[in-house]
Amino acid sequence: MPKQGSLLAYTVSRLILALPTLLILLTVLFLVLRILPGDPVSALEAGRHRSIRDIAADKARLGLDQPWWIQYPVYLGQVFSGNFGVSLGSLYLGQPVLGVIAQKLPATIELAIGGMIVATIMGVGTGVLGGANRDKLPDVIVRLYGGIIWVIPVFWLGLMLQLVFAVGLHWFPPNLRYAADPVIYPPPTHITGLYTLDSLLEGSLDKFAISIDHLFLPSLTLGLVVSGFFTRTVRANLLRTINSDYVEAARARGVPEPFIVLRYAFRNALIPIVTILGLQFAILFAGAVLTEKTFSWDGMGTLLLNSIDSRDYAMIQGTVVVYAFIIVIISVIIDVINGLIDPRVRY
Amino acid sequence: MTEAAAQQQTEQPLERSSSSVGRLLDLLIQQRRSLAGAMFWIGVVVFFSFIFIGLAAPLIAPYNPQSIFLTPPSQPPTLQHLMGTDDLGRDIFSRVLWGTRSSLEIVAIGSVLALIVGFPVGLFSGYVGGWIDRGLVLVMDSVYAFPGLLLAAIVALFLGKGVFNIGIAITVIYVPTYFRVTRNHTISVREETFVEAARALGANSMTILWSYIAYQVLISIPVVFSLSAADAILTAAGLSFLGLGLERPAPDWGLDLSDAQKFLSSGAWWSSVFPGVMIIIFTVGIAFLGEGLSDIANPLLRKERA
Repeated sequence: MPKQGSLLAYTVSRLILALPTLLILLTVLFLVLRILPGDPVSALEAGRHRSIRDIAADKARLGLDQPWWIQYPVYLGQVFSGNFGVSLGSLYLGQPVLGVIAQKLPATIELAIGGMIVATIMGVGTGVLGGANRDKLPDVIVRLYGGIIWVIPVFWLGLMLQLVFAVGLHWFPPNLRYAADPVIYPPPTHITGLYTLDSLLEGSLDKFAISIDHLFLPSLTLGLVVSGFFTRTVRANLLRTINSDYVEAARARGVPEPFIVLRYAFRNALIPIVTILGLQFAILFAGAVLTEKTFSWDGMGTLLLNSIDSRDYAMIQGTVVVYAFIIVIISVIIDVINGLIDPRVRY
Repeated sequence: MTEAAAQQQTEQPLERSSSSVGRLLDLLIQQRRSLAGAMFWIGVVVFFSFIFIGLAAPLIAPYNPQSIFLTPPSQPPTLQHLMGTDDLGRDIFSRVLWGTRSSLEIVAIGSVLALIVGFPVGLFSGYVGGWIDRGLVLVMDSVYAFPGLLLAAIVALFLGKGVFNIGIAITVIYVPTYFRVTRNHTISVREETFVEAARALGANSMTILWSYIAYQVLISIPVVFSLSAADAILTAAGLSFLGLGLERPAPDWGLDLSDAQKFLSSGAWWSSVFPGVMIIIFTVGIAFLGEGLSDIANPLLRKERA
């Protein structure tokens, strides 16, 4: 047993505590996907004319003809063994669900990282600007920005950026992850699946430039909308720390003001942000689905939407369950980072 | 300062009405010149304007939002068509006005249902405490952690399209929010002296919960509503944009944006700009209302707790 209060012990306890959350999420998804309105296969079949026998066969193959107390353990078994069955839709017919998800996941991760980078830069920048100039003009502008940016529909912002920077100015490509023609512009070899990283690993700056070019507008769209939260939190925290005794003491010693803001106040203002960062990922992933649709970005969100279109029940279930896993894992990681920054939370 | 003057000063602001809702109203009127107060009242004006637009859409919309090819398609804004026409020759201004309706209906259904479920469960959970409370909090927090749009999307997928179904899908996201706020407030009110007094006088739990605590906790509901309603509008529009919301040809902001996307590359900016601008004015209005309200109501909540 690791020593109490050590990072390892804390990580292990966070992992154990995350299990109920994961189980509850999986159960909620089970209820929604299988129990609530009759049965999903019939609901999905509504738009499609197929014989009753085919539908029954589909149900039997998914085990949906069984009562729920048999379905539930089977479902949990599938989820924890990573066996989500094979795709039933026309797009990926017969391919293992998890395999297809593994292909699409890197695109979403790349977009999410890009969005987080933009959100952090914008949010911290504006937050510090506002907090350091309390009630002056920059602060008023920053407060307006923080109050308005998060209620802008992310897909609309994406359309507007496309309209201005792609259709109007031709600075960036309007959509897709990479140049449309794979013969002239072959994408980087698959190593991690993140095009930006793969092209660097391959040593090709040209490919890196193309990837960044395509990544920029979607990341900006997603990042701006998420940044409002950072702006408000950084500003509020900075206002709190900037008036604290130790900052006052530094000021009395004659430490120059910019140095006080960045070195003394800012660092301690950052800690509470990490704590609530976890919830932002839910918003980030929801926003990513819309951003993917806006920019024809071929990731998890697009996969989910395509599965819905092609009535692919197995794929829909697999995608949402993977989302649930990602959310829970991220919350554990953030808790651990928190424990790393602030040792007090480990006890 | 004399004692009388001091007393007058402390009494003056909050004397007019004794109920917490009445006190909040007094404060809102008093503080209309502060930033939070101004935000609140701007929000109120925007919110009620949209309710008016929604109700009066059939009277104020210049054209039928669904009649196609009455005018040339894809026209930029003119005096006849203030926001231009879309690819089917429908008047965008009329569609945008009518779109207010579905948005309002969905938010109303979603918020009322979330309140009906979240408020009593939150009251109960906060009042009884113990392992029931811990369990409920865990469940609600887990649901809250999941991306709301995705959860609503799956629910919407199985319920089908339409205003009422999307309203239910939205409810699923906001039950945890209403629950959380109600529960936390209940826990603080539970320990108040007047609740203690009621208990000492022999009132049973149901009476204490509904006649004493619920009334006090109700004050936090407008804040939750205004903070979640803006998000609900965005989610509803997002669902429609993804093709899971309303059915064509219903006039709906998200749906119209999804159609407009196809014609973006031809430079038809008006069909994508205006529905989005409507969403933003509405959501910013509600967000202002909520920010202002929570800024002003929060000191009040703190005072009650002290």
